[in-house]
Amino acid sequence: MSIAGVIAANRFGLGARPAEVAAISSDPKGWLMAQLAPETELPVPLRALPSTVDDMSAFFKWLRQIATEAKAQGMDPYAQTPPGGVAPAAGGMSRDNGFSIEREYVKAFLPRYATAVKARFDAAVATDRPFFERLVHFWSNHFVVSGAKAGAITMPPSFERDAIRPHVTGRFADMLLASSRHPAMLFYLDNYRSVGPNSKVGRDPSLRAPRTPQAFAVPQKAGLNENFAREILELQTLGVRSGYDQADVTSFARVLTGWTIAAPPRVPLYKLVLQGRLNARGLFEFDDEGHEPGPQTIMGKVYGQSGVDQGEAVLNDLARRPATAHFIATKLARHFIADDPPPAAVARLAEAFVKSDGDLKEVCAALVQSPEGFDPVPRKFKTPEEYMISAARALPAFQADATSLLRAFGSMGQTPYRPPGPDGWPDVEAEWLGADAIWKRFEWAGQTAQRVASTTMNPIALGKDLFGPQFSPATEQATARAQSPAQGLTLLLASAEFQRR
Amino acid sequence: MVTRRQGLGLLGAGLAVAGLPRAAFAAPETDKRFVVVLLRGAMDGLSAVPATGDPDFARARNGLARGDTLKLDSTFGLHPNLGAMKRLYDSGELLVVHAVATPYRDRSHFDGQNLLENGAEQPYGLDTGWLNRVLARLPGSGKPLGIALDAHMPLMLRGPAAVTSWAPSLLPPPDGDTADRLAALYGETDAGLARNFTAARGANGMAMGGGGPGGGAFPGLMSAAAKFLAAPDGARVAMIEISGWDTHVNQAGPYSPLSTNLLALDRGLDALKAGLGAAWRNTAVIVVSEFGRTVAMNGTQGTDHGTAGAVFVAGGAVKGGRVLADWPGLRPADLYQGRDLKPTTDFRAIASGVLRDHLGLRAPQWAMVFPSSSPLKPRDGLIRA
Repeated sequence: MSIAGVIAANRFGLGARPAEVAAISSDPKGWLMAQLAPETELPVPLRALPSTVDDMSAFFKWLRQIATEAKAQGMDPYAQTPPGGVAPAAGGMSRDNGFSIEREYVKAFLPRYATAVKARFDAAVATDRPFFERLVHFWSNHFVVSGAKAGAITMPPSFERDAIRPHVTGRFADMLLASSRHPAMLFYLDNYRSVGPNSKVGRDPSLRAPRTPQAFAVPQKAGLNENFAREILELQTLGVRSGYDQADVTSFARVLTGWTIAAPPRVPLYKLVLQGRLNARGLFEFDDEGHEPGPQTIMGKVYGQSGVDQGEAVLNDLARRPATAHFIATKLARHFIADDPPPAAVARLAEAFVKSDGDLKEVCAALVQSPEGFDPVPRKFKTPEEYMISAARALPAFQADATSLLRAFGSMGQTPYRPPGPDGWPDVEAEWLGADAIWKRFEWAGQTAQRVASTTMNPIALGKDLFGPQFSPATEQATARAQSPAQGLTLLLASAEFQRR
Repeated sequence: MVTRRQGLGLLGAGLAVAGLPRAAFAAPETDKRFVVVLLRGAMDGLSAVPATGDPDFARARNGLARGDTLKLDSTFGLHPNLGAMKRLYDSGELLVVHAVATPYRDRSHFDGQNLLENGAEQPYGLDTGWLNRVLARLPGSGKPLGIALDAHMPLMLRGPAAVTSWAPSLLPPPDGDTADRLAALYGETDAGLARNFTAARGANGMAMGGGGPGGGAFPGLMSAAAKFLAAPDGARVAMIEISGWDTHVNQAGPYSPLSTNLLALDRGLDALKAGLGAAWRNTAVIVVSEFGRTVAMNGTQGTDHGTAGAVFVAGGAVKGGRVLADWPGLRPADLYQGRDLKPTTDFRAIASGVLRDHLGLRAPQWAMVFPSSSPLKPRDGLIRA
């Protein structure tokens, strides 16, 4: 067993399964490189998940149902149900008569969401390609669609599967385009209703949607929303403070008008579903009538294209900017190597990005070949999700249903698919090494150990198997001195070896 | 006889002259409580505290102005969901400050929050938080005086001073002496885990002692915060956050995210006051967001990222019942970059005014809390004499 084998399984993968370190120790880098091939078929747990269209149809069908019920109770559905508008963060607010839109919403969609969370967890626990799966999680946390936004609760899993997975070892520009065209993203960052002031819809009031008694929060007039443009620049490509200004954001927002879901934004989404049009017409649609006409200047370059070509040209340019290469390289190095990414590694990844025109396979190959990545001192602290996945991989007897998984994720502060904002989950130790979070990990370790201890192997042997030469004498001794296998396993699962990589 | 605050002040000033401000650790503990509520996502200050008396208000807000606000004075009102806060205002325990901003001007949440939390003049200018630096300058016995009601440790509380965090548990704890053994193992192998694990055990014991708070929602967290702060040997400083204030879409309706969040904030402050009991008298709470939002409604019935907003200072120690605003006005020419409420008050002036008059921090101390290229002038008269 080699230290490089332990590092490959732990730092680049999702934590070793029993006997895995021994199996890969002769060629750990080869094992990682072999995972940088495109996926030929979906992991089994993900295959049965519903499509984005199914998810959105279900959401809007539910909206119609709830509005009917609200009306029957004499309430104003317009006030009750703004699509994309309910903030679960505030928690538990309800009307005086006890009706809570948030409670109803969560009740209706929690099972669907829970199934997807468990599928993601199961896929990560079972995979033979843990490095690839880590990259899926990484990119899903880069191009964020958060289910914490009402209406989006069901969307991130299909977004991850359809916009992220196919491009993990492909070109960055393709992933950016796939993400930007995906209805979940257009919904999450509000672009689906953003309309150019001088577009046909922007100028002609007769095209504006009437407010019908059944309608929920239909925009009374069409206008520009710069959220999506700003987040692409700041969070997805160039990174903040990289030279663009407010005027660039506004111009880019104009460029992106018309990038919408299946039909012109003056028709509320739920109506499309009711009319069967969303299912019939698919997902992304470019709505020329809502698109701001004319050339736009972004960071000094004039984009004179018309229609959807204009946005694609901007996205393609953004994907190739040196700032983007540097930003992506920094994030990858921070994720896999150290909170303060070594500048040499960042430079190497950025160079690979530029040289290969954003070929992510080449960038990841440069990551694997970076000597900093195999420094034996662990510099990363696992997030709660990574921690739980690694524990489950180490314990073949581990079993958890969706409810207990969600409870554990929630108590440790990271519910998958529901990051707090479009910047995703934080990726530095200081965010996760809080007193309360550590205590919750300890509680979960104890609970898990009590459940599997009787059927699992000796905790000391397990520690040696998983961590080889990195298994510290202190942890070995504490495990050996435990008064029960469950206590020994609790100490192993809570040990520094298990929490750092 | 000098009061405790005066005593601390004199002590602080004397030590500052000697160049040893950190020696203030040796002084007795404070009975003051200080709470920061961070509203992540950029609250629309003009919805929370509408300037209904400004002749340009209704026009400038183009559809977001509403007629049912709770009147504060001839210019300002409160959002109708802030009923408990209106009662605090009427009893002189809520101070409203308007047209406030940090030094940040670039409208990125994440940069704006980072700067608001680190207390520097640039995002990422410091990797510790200003509230932790406050703790480092409070008299204490070395045990954690600060707590985050959060599963994470927010930047504002990160730094060298001992802090802890707590959030409601849904998992049963392991039994027996496992925690003792793990503490010993961490002690041998990992300083970071050891420190946080020990802090968690302490906080956990205290929370369990009085029964857990109800639910994970904000009012429940505020009740829990009150429990920690009210305990005679408990925390003196707490930080709590509530996210979801980024209202690009449909913010005006009575059940919009903004309305819901304001209601949660209102109930939360009420819960804090109730839970603190007698300690409320010695409490100051600052409620702040990373920046404000655009004055005009955007094309989707929401607002986009803006600049100045409103800050609340609440508590029995606060000289409230007033709106402080060097009001810039809402005519197009009055707006910052033609779109945002113009900042006329620096958040740090408000915070350092509270830190000085409530916690007794002296000039060299709050200058370390908020390092600034130009001298900060703390706002006078925010705290009752």
